[in-house]
Amino acid sequence: MTNAVQSDHDFEVQDIMINMGPQHPATHGVFRMVLAVDGEIVRDVIPHIGYMHRGGEKLSETMDFRQGIGFMDRTEYLAQFNAELSYVMAVEALMDIQVPERAQWIRMILCELNRLSSHFMFTGAFGTDSGVFGTAFTYAFRWREEIMDLFEEITGDRLMYAYFRPGGLAWEVTDNFAQRVKYVLDQCRQGIKDVDNLITNNEVFKARTQNVGIISAEDAIDWGTTGPVLRGSGVPFDVRRDEPYLFYDQVDFDVPVGQVGDVYDRWCVRIEEMRQSVRIVEQCMAKLQPGPIMPERMPRMLRTPPGEVYIRTEAPRGEYGIYMVSKGGNRPHRLKIRSACFTNLQALKDMSVGNYVADAVLILGSLDIVLGETDR
Amino acid sequence: MMTETLFGLPTGVDAAIRLLIVVGVMTVVVMALIYLERKVLARFQQRLGPTRTGPMGLLQSVADALKLISKEDIRPKNADPWVFELAPFLVFVPTFLGFVAVPFTIAWQVRELELGLLYVLAVSSVNILGWVMAGWGSDNRYAILGALRAVAQSISYELPLVLAMISVAMVANSLNLVEIVRQQATVPNIVWQPLPALLFFICLLAEMNRPPFDAPVGESEVVGGPYVEYSGIRWSMFFLGEYAAMFIMSLLGAAVFLGGGAWPLGEELGVGWQLALTVVKAGAIIFLMFWTRASFPRLRIDQMMSFSWKILLPASIAQILVTGGILVYNLPSGLEHTLLAVTSAIGVLFVYTAINRSVATPRPRPVVLVRRSEAAR
Amino acid sequence: MKGILRSLATTFSTFTRKPVTRQYPETHRELPERDRAFPVLLWDQEAHEPFCTGCHACERACPVECMTVLMKDNPAHKSVGGESSRRKIIDKFWIDYGRCMRCNICVEVCNFGAISMNNTWSGHEKSAYDRAELVQDLPMLLSVSRGGELKPWVNE
Repeated sequence: MTNAVQSDHDFEVQDIMINMGPQHPATHGVFRMVLAVDGEIVRDVIPHIGYMHRGGEKLSETMDFRQGIGFMDRTEYLAQFNAELSYVMAVEALMDIQVPERAQWIRMILCELNRLSSHFMFTGAFGTDSGVFGTAFTYAFRWREEIMDLFEEITGDRLMYAYFRPGGLAWEVTDNFAQRVKYVLDQCRQGIKDVDNLITNNEVFKARTQNVGIISAEDAIDWGTTGPVLRGSGVPFDVRRDEPYLFYDQVDFDVPVGQVGDVYDRWCVRIEEMRQSVRIVEQCMAKLQPGPIMPERMPRMLRTPPGEVYIRTEAPRGEYGIYMVSKGGNRPHRLKIRSACFTNLQALKDMSVGNYVADAVLILGSLDIVLGETDR
Repeated sequence: MMTETLFGLPTGVDAAIRLLIVVGVMTVVVMALIYLERKVLARFQQRLGPTRTGPMGLLQSVADALKLISKEDIRPKNADPWVFELAPFLVFVPTFLGFVAVPFTIAWQVRELELGLLYVLAVSSVNILGWVMAGWGSDNRYAILGALRAVAQSISYELPLVLAMISVAMVANSLNLVEIVRQQATVPNIVWQPLPALLFFICLLAEMNRPPFDAPVGESEVVGGPYVEYSGIRWSMFFLGEYAAMFIMSLLGAAVFLGGGAWPLGEELGVGWQLALTVVKAGAIIFLMFWTRASFPRLRIDQMMSFSWKILLPASIAQILVTGGILVYNLPSGLEHTLLAVTSAIGVLFVYTAINRSVATPRPRPVVLVRRSEAAR
Repeated sequence: MKGILRSLATTFSTFTRKPVTRQYPETHRELPERDRAFPVLLWDQEAHEPFCTGCHACERACPVECMTVLMKDNPAHKSVGGESSRRKIIDKFWIDYGRCMRCNICVEVCNFGAISMNNTWSGHEKSAYDRAELVQDLPMLLSVSRGGELKPWVNE
């Protein structure tokens, strides 16, 4: 990239290319970003993805509807229940299965707790990006441990749960589920308070993040961003509210929306979403009744009739969609994952150009990307 | 131990002994500080620090030193050899020199210098040259970028630091550190001059590239700053210098602002009590530095510069003018002190509001929308 | 500057809390009952043989094809003079722990309750220097259950 400078010497000014390679100090995954920099100001951003591509959509064509759930965990590996949920909802939509109420409520509780743990991870990673030496990160992981302990008691695994099944859940939750959830919620409230007090009102943090990486509402909609990126710019779109799935239309929650569309707004939107998630889980626990978790007559081998369906849910990063095409049989003919981070990354250039190099890392952090989902 | 030699030994031997004291104490203290920093920072993060090397992890610094010594000494091919090699020395030797004038108790320091305060401040700013040499000698464009940023930051924050100290020196009417300590026998200087104390602390963090002012050093976003081409023991010399500077400047701050060995009841209770007081006060300042490291994000370099030039420098100049204006009238001591305290407190309030205002004007938090009352699409 | 003071207060409050570090490997935390480490085969203590009959159900159901199963006629079956009611028994069984993704599907499809996930610490501490060491054969898979400490959790 060259900018010609008017002078009698025929100079040519070139931008320096700075490579932020696949290994980042702040663990966003294997993502490579090449910045074309003029002095300190970023002129162009060229992202390179694909380092984590595993051929997942093709792999899913070889796995039947129970085996494929394991792969969905591994795409969105920080918000696994939301990914599994989209998949099983797609199968249920194709086969027209009615999921029992108790399974739906438990699914909601687990998805919202997963949103909490994913947003805690975001606060940790973003705090590290902005320079807080380790405190935000250790706080985040310490509170995430509580949530992961609960998930381990229920599903058996700390990260790759594979717990949802088409029709409901794989097995019943533990007997002390109610007390454990209450305990975890208390811990999360303390955690949100800690993280909020540590970072949100800190003047240094505000100086770093306000008016940085602004994207206007029209641009955000044009690029197709969803999730906190879109809501930070002022567009009040939330799949849980506008196309309710599970029982989101029966619980009361607010959708936080920013005003300016900068990095600070996205941070505040996510912190507020954490509080709303706690609220949702409380209401769900109050409404949870004993009952079956799978429909009575479930076929042993799941065969979907021919058809196609697109199901979308509100993952912590945005709209996570599954487009499934079935031609009969017990495997999807084509599975396409509409990943939130992939679409949000397209807006990176728009947000970064004109800002300083030191801010480029913060802007990338505020998008909260997960490479498993971006590359599949 | 002031102007006589130790135990009446000849001056050469006496000088050698004092040199050994300086080197020995500093090395031990620096290793202890590295260990303490890791333990204290870990406690701020609700975890334990090093626990396995030696009992309670006490030998961690020794292990680090051994590891660094055993590393290969890499030198870039096109690096200017003299500049590259001498840069670490220029960073850490001046801090050892600063040790000479700092008073541990009212009677104990390596040498009592009449211009002690000026000497310490002057000598501690020589490390700026070390950074320039490190950056230039590394033959790496990112090193020179980082080095120039470090130098710009250092120079910008020297000014408020020195001006704050001048204000204290004006009140104490002397640059001799022992005099300044002695005059605080009843009340420490921080009571009369809170603004210079605040400025001193902030500029201290910036001088030593500590968070939140560690943009040149913590450039983990792009590169490692001026130290990027150094490895092994050379690299550790830079950090030795940083921790040594931390210790020396904390001692200086304890002596100048917190009363050193003299307050409270220093003269009456003897040398042991004074030593303990100095150590505790220096430790408090060091703890404060660890505390700020654990709590703040990093400032961007242009924000750092504007903070220094637009807020700290006017505050320090105003402090000097006001102090001079008060001192010129030779008021009775009680009234003078009260006026000083009041004006300085106003200065602190000014810095407080300036920091509040310098960030973008406060905005209401994100608007929350209640679900049902809004139209869906 | 209020926010700065609030940050300082928050870190100070964590300073006063007890550290949450657990000193592994001296102390191991207690694993929940449903903990899902790698699969192991179960030993029938009364019949002194594995439950597994080698029916290949888990091998077919595995998403990553990490198992190899060979069955044989049971030499301890009633028809040839023994006491067991299993006509076929497992002959050779290999699971590659390096491929296994611990999805629990093999446990779910097993008709004989012969395989379960190892919910003890030995299931987690499987570090090896060579990937070939992660392939477990039949005696290794049966060893945990034969030792008697395994309390498998198999959802009915």
